[in-house]
Amino acid sequence: MSGPSGWRAPRGVLVLGASTPLGERLCRALLADPELRAVLAVGKEPRERVRLPEDARLRYQPVDITHARHVHDLLFGPARELGVDVVVDLAMHRANDFGRSVHVQNVESLRWLLSLAERHPTVRRVVFRSYAEVYRVEPGLPSVITEDHPLELSPEAPQWVRDRVEADVLACVKLGLAPGLEIAVLRCAEVLAPHEGSQLHDYLSAPVCLRSAGFDPMLNVLALEDAAEALRLAVYAGGTRGIFNIPGADTLPLSGCIRLAGRLDVPVPGPLLAPAYEARRRLRGGQFSYRINRGRFHLAAVLDGTLALRTLGYAPHDRVVWTNPGR
Amino acid sequence: MNVRPAALQSWLGKAGRRLASGLLAEPLEHVRALPFRDAGHGYDLFGYEPLHAAFGLAALEQLHRHWFRVRSHGAEHVPAQGPAILVGNHSGTLPFDAMMLWTDVVLRRQRLPRAVADYFVPTLPFVSTLYARGGVVGGTVGNLRVLLEAGELLMIFPEGVPGISKPFRERYQLKEFRVGHAELAIRHQAPVVPVGIVGAEEQMPQLGRLPLQAFGVPYVPVTLTPFPLPVRYHLLYGEPLRLHEGLRPEDADDPEVVRRAAERVRGAVQELVERGLRQREGVFR
Repeated sequence: MSGPSGWRAPRGVLVLGASTPLGERLCRALLADPELRAVLAVGKEPRERVRLPEDARLRYQPVDITHARHVHDLLFGPARELGVDVVVDLAMHRANDFGRSVHVQNVESLRWLLSLAERHPTVRRVVFRSYAEVYRVEPGLPSVITEDHPLELSPEAPQWVRDRVEADVLACVKLGLAPGLEIAVLRCAEVLAPHEGSQLHDYLSAPVCLRSAGFDPMLNVLALEDAAEALRLAVYAGGTRGIFNIPGADTLPLSGCIRLAGRLDVPVPGPLLAPAYEARRRLRGGQFSYRINRGRFHLAAVLDGTLALRTLGYAPHDRVVWTNPGR
Repeated sequence: MNVRPAALQSWLGKAGRRLASGLLAEPLEHVRALPFRDAGHGYDLFGYEPLHAAFGLAALEQLHRHWFRVRSHGAEHVPAQGPAILVGNHSGTLPFDAMMLWTDVVLRRQRLPRAVADYFVPTLPFVSTLYARGGVVGGTVGNLRVLLEAGELLMIFPEGVPGISKPFRERYQLKEFRVGHAELAIRHQAPVVPVGIVGAEEQMPQLGRLPLQAFGVPYVPVTLTPFPLPVRYHLLYGEPLRLHEGLRPEDADDPEVVRRAAERVRGAVQELVERGLRQREGVFR
């Protein structure tokens, strides 16, 4: 997974998805390094709506990455100008929406980014934030998941999952096909924090949490601080490439998550869950989809972070803040 | 008084745990002394949790002492620490043989055997959760690798469902052994402790099967009695087999090597079963 190279600290970092809570935190962590010359933060929102620090080395640029031309101009304009050598992609669509534009943001923008990065004069490394949800969860598969675990390639999977799998596979293919470009794919456990697109966070924001009676699987969740630290380590891990699981410090059963979140735990027969949560989604506008989570609401799925520890030096430290997930 | 239902549920849960900890003080103390890797919230990665295990131990100890009156021979062969695999014969329609072996090792050797269940077990409502809390894991190579690398003790019944479901007339005739245990033992350089279990075959004589499938269960057994008979169990532990001696971990990829190793284990288990049958004075005595 790791390869030799003339390692050097990054000079400039482009963060796509900098307006997300994780992006903001990563930018702050990067700016803590006085040696880093520039951070080019990119988001969809205008600057005044983004809580990034004031720093002479930080430049924020709103870009709609669903247009190939915009991505091209970003990379060969400001990124080249600032000498960006590492790109971090966190720009996956967070809401449980579907359609062409969502797919373009999730998958096509990454495709353009990787192709452009391959021939870019300064970019040498791409860190892609992927998701634990790309893994298939079913009986007969290990509950402790290593990086070679089967992916969820079912055609019945919702677009939310399919897009994440396609983007992950795309990055992994490039990992093998683009020898001049270092790619690190970080398959992060679910970041349980508001505005991060966490399905579990949305689930736990309801006062009553329904779960399948008779099943109480083990889950692993990641704190925002640990996710940002894993990404920072990947930015600085020049010379390494590969796929890395990023587990969190909290491994506990689903009922434990519900209890720690201060919600009412109501086990119901499994077949009732899909219609109940679909009705909630339509009536109350929630993001949680039982179809996305069916597997891990029945079977244990915990990431094995051995490779990330060995290669990136990442170990989870920070616990999730469980109280008031509705905020 | 305005009490939030979630707060009330949480309070009841805590009170229940406190009450259970008091009632189960002795088994809980015993279980807490077992080495256990807490993944952060009182559970291990696979869902094992000491209080639930203590509850299981309290219930199973009664069966072990008073119902099945288990006689144990050679438990000292189970290594006190380090990776190892217990391999036994499987029988009796319902897995009381696994439960008695688990209880025996917990009581006599102060180690937690991680029973390895068939693929369908994690899909069973309630059973999957209860088993996981007692340390049972799904039988996938990935799970077992993690456990052996952590130096845990596995408990495997290589006959699987064909063993536990065999008709009464075929009692104590070992079915074909799957070879996964031998491969694991060689790859992870772990000793195998063969165990002959005598008594379980007569606990619930199986008369037939209903071809009904639900939650992945391959069939529904039709038994002579609705609950296990109070047969006497004999557990005979053999000397550890060091299948990996003279082999490298990568030899676990050689099908012939693995097949021979599995045959060696099967032979040792069969011998222990036969010895147990010779020694026992009757099914219930």
